[in-house]
Amino acid sequence: MYSWFILFPLLSVIILNLPFRGMMNKIAIWYALALSIAQVYLVLFPVNIVMPFLQLNLNADIISRAVLLCIAIVLFVTILSAKYLIKKEDKLFNFVNLLFICLAGMNGVTLVTDIFSLYVFIEITAVASYTLISFYKDKDAFEAAFKYIMLSAMASAMMLAGIALIMLISGDTGFFAIREALKVSPHSSLIVFAIAIFICALFIKGGLMPFHGWLPDAYSAAPAPVSVLLAGVVTKTLGIYGLIRIMVSVIGFDGPLKQALLFIGALSIVVGALAALGQSDFKRMLAYSSISQVGYIIIGLGTGTALGIFGAVFHLFNHAIFKSSLFLNSAAVESRLGTRDMDKMNGLASKMPVTGITSVISCLSAAGLPPLAGFWSKLIIIVALWVSGYRVYAVVAIMASVITLAYFLSLQRRVFFGRIKEDSMNIKEAGIGLTLPAVILTAIIIGVGIAFPFLRDAIKF
Amino acid sequence: MYMTQQSMLLCAVFVPVVGAFFLPIAGRISLKFRNLFALGLVLASFIFSMSLLPVALSGKSILIARQMGMGINLIFLADGLAVFMACVSSLISAIIILYSFGYISHYDNQNEYYSMVVLFLGSMMGLVFSANLILLYIFWEITAITSWRLIGFFREKEHVLRADKAFLVTFFGAVVMLIGFISIYQTTGTFDLTPGAISNIAVLLILAGILSKSATLPFHTWLPDAGVAPSPVTALLHAAILVKIGVYVFARIFIATFTVSAFWHTAVPIIAVVSAIVSGGAALVETDLKRLIAYSTISQIGFIFFGLAVGNTMAVAGGLLYILMHGFAKAGLFLCAGIIEQNTKIRDITKLGGLITTMPVTAMAFLLCSFSVMGIPPFGGFFSKYMVFSGAISSGQLWTSAAFLIAAVLTILYLFRVFNLVFLGEPKTSRAKEGSFIMVASVAILTALSLLGGIFINYPFNFVQTIVSNLSGIIR
Repeated sequence: MYSWFILFPLLSVIILNLPFRGMMNKIAIWYALALSIAQVYLVLFPVNIVMPFLQLNLNADIISRAVLLCIAIVLFVTILSAKYLIKKEDKLFNFVNLLFICLAGMNGVTLVTDIFSLYVFIEITAVASYTLISFYKDKDAFEAAFKYIMLSAMASAMMLAGIALIMLISGDTGFFAIREALKVSPHSSLIVFAIAIFICALFIKGGLMPFHGWLPDAYSAAPAPVSVLLAGVVTKTLGIYGLIRIMVSVIGFDGPLKQALLFIGALSIVVGALAALGQSDFKRMLAYSSISQVGYIIIGLGTGTALGIFGAVFHLFNHAIFKSSLFLNSAAVESRLGTRDMDKMNGLASKMPVTGITSVISCLSAAGLPPLAGFWSKLIIIVALWVSGYRVYAVVAIMASVITLAYFLSLQRRVFFGRIKEDSMNIKEAGIGLTLPAVILTAIIIGVGIAFPFLRDAIKF
Repeated sequence: MYMTQQSMLLCAVFVPVVGAFFLPIAGRISLKFRNLFALGLVLASFIFSMSLLPVALSGKSILIARQMGMGINLIFLADGLAVFMACVSSLISAIIILYSFGYISHYDNQNEYYSMVVLFLGSMMGLVFSANLILLYIFWEITAITSWRLIGFFREKEHVLRADKAFLVTFFGAVVMLIGFISIYQTTGTFDLTPGAISNIAVLLILAGILSKSATLPFHTWLPDAGVAPSPVTALLHAAILVKIGVYVFARIFIATFTVSAFWHTAVPIIAVVSAIVSGGAALVETDLKRLIAYSTISQIGFIFFGLAVGNTMAVAGGLLYILMHGFAKAGLFLCAGIIEQNTKIRDITKLGGLITTMPVTAMAFLLCSFSVMGIPPFGGFFSKYMVFSGAISSGQLWTSAAFLIAAVLTILYLFRVFNLVFLGEPKTSRAKEGSFIMVASVAILTALSLLGGIFINYPFNFVQTIVSNLSGIIR
């Protein structure tokens, strides 16, 4: 069944661009919405459809399914906001096509079982996202996309080199085969080098400190729906899911590697949070916050325990939800005020109540306040760190959540929670295309947060 | 209608928690309906808590437990301590909401105000009945979120900054406390409150959370700053409920559940006495009325910690009684300050004077509540203070008790100074009128409760005695 997750979006691109395109123009957006809902449904309630032709070697464990779910949810809200924000019909049509390519790529990344296919799907997604970032062809966006391409190209080269070296040792690219081959001589310098460059490449794709240079520009210069998609799932799937998959299925956890992950994770958490504290551009603050939150995922992964990995994947899911919601809020504010400079805003909650409330809830979830979803994932990561003996990292992670709360409170204070300025008295709430998705995401945050103790048994990680 | 005690316990918590989210909808129907609905929710919570009283008085407890895995279980426990705290909190909240009808009626964002106040009370109820550390932490943080919104209620830039400060300081304390909880989890394998010994480092970490929530030195600075909030909010947060969370959790964790090393029975009183004297001194020189009362709260919280920490039956009973008496009297003082502030638009006590001629009821209420805070018989405050001192001296804490006497004298000094400056002497402002009927009435109720609590001291006294005598054997 899982091959449909890759093939269907690709087929859709072809179908949409067949000669009778004029008719397709109108339905493309609804078609995309239906597809994302179908993906949510199929992930939650898998159906076993046997495919007589085209046997792809795919596998979906609980981690893949969690990521597939994120992809579908974030795609859904991206499409809703794009429908509202992109007014021209043929532009919207192009946008939907690019989204389909992105979707095929991301679904591929989550499902493949060999590192070469992983590389291919990462590249497919990356190419689609370069185009998406520079969708409006303005100067900032080109610059950001260029930066992203340059760093990504480097990552690709490193990844390919790593794959070549691993091939040399194992003679195969399948996860299982490599795993077996690595067991023979796990500490030869060639293997260490191959793994190191492969993982560094994934760090670049995931935008971790100190490889994050492209990320704030890309997130803030991209069109609003694209920021939602990029921050919510693209970098998470390419870099972070890729890393989790490689660690869990291929390399396994050993001492120095765990230390490296923990260190990079802690560095990203602290530096990202401190950098976010100093931003006055709404989207840039969110971008740095992304770097910081990704650090939590990596630090959870770095424990190497089942609990830590569970926390990491759960935080990946939560991050996709609350960060998408916050980017939607930033899009709502930008669409009404025409600026992203937080110092030019104040007290918008009184004029934009839905955006205000959803942003408060998303911010608090990101800072890890109960009873919201973000609290549970952070709690699990910190418990995992503490129990496996990495107490210093646990303290760093928990103290950084105070900084997280500090910058989100400063965001709230500057944008929403205050007295409305004279010149923005006539601001109205953003349209339903931006508020409805935010409300849906907020409902997920609250629902998951309250139901988590009850859900936990059902997940069976 | 017949209800099991378990469902009454759940109702006491979840009627206000869930109801809070319907208040904005009620506000669309009619403002009056919303106000009464808010009051009804809090009163319902009070009545449900009171209905648990007979069980609690008989020394038994009610337990609702659901296993959830990972040590995070849903456990609500209603024992004497919890029911006592729940009754005190919900009763004072109900009076404060009544006062809000008058105070808050001419400001924006009333829907948010009422739902946050009710949600705050609801999570307070959840907190007192929680018997699992994570559950307790969840409610602890909900109170922090709601007080953040309430302190920044007027939305001036400076107010929001101070709300952020309060939120950050208490959040910092809370996450430090969470580390302490996790270290307990590591040794016991569960977050449930199960009796046992805990390490000194866990005590230290949890204490940081408690001191930050109860605004005790060195985490006290957010409390006076938070005085910018509307007066009913300051009464609610700073006098009656929020700051008592720390005290309650102290009693719950360190007295009722875990055994801590003897070192803390001397260390905590020392922290408390420093806090009490320093803030008492600060209150003596402060000129902003609400800040002054806030400093006074910090100082009085020191007495409560003192009573609870010396670990002697008499002193612990005194500490619990202190929570009750201080709640009534200090809420009364804050609400009086609210009436003065609203009718004169001045908070600087050196610019006020002679208000007794135009605000006789407020003046009397202020004076009588002050008597209770000072500890003058026959007011309730006298008995609690007496019991704390008597218990402490009988367990040999002579020097700390002597130091606390200084704090007690300071209390008398600064409260008389305020009364003198604000109500006596020549009027310095244009004629300020008395507060609206409903506001004055709520202040009068609190004053009456302070006085009656002292006259009929045997009822609360017996109650706290029962609680204390059962404290050792209540937890599963």
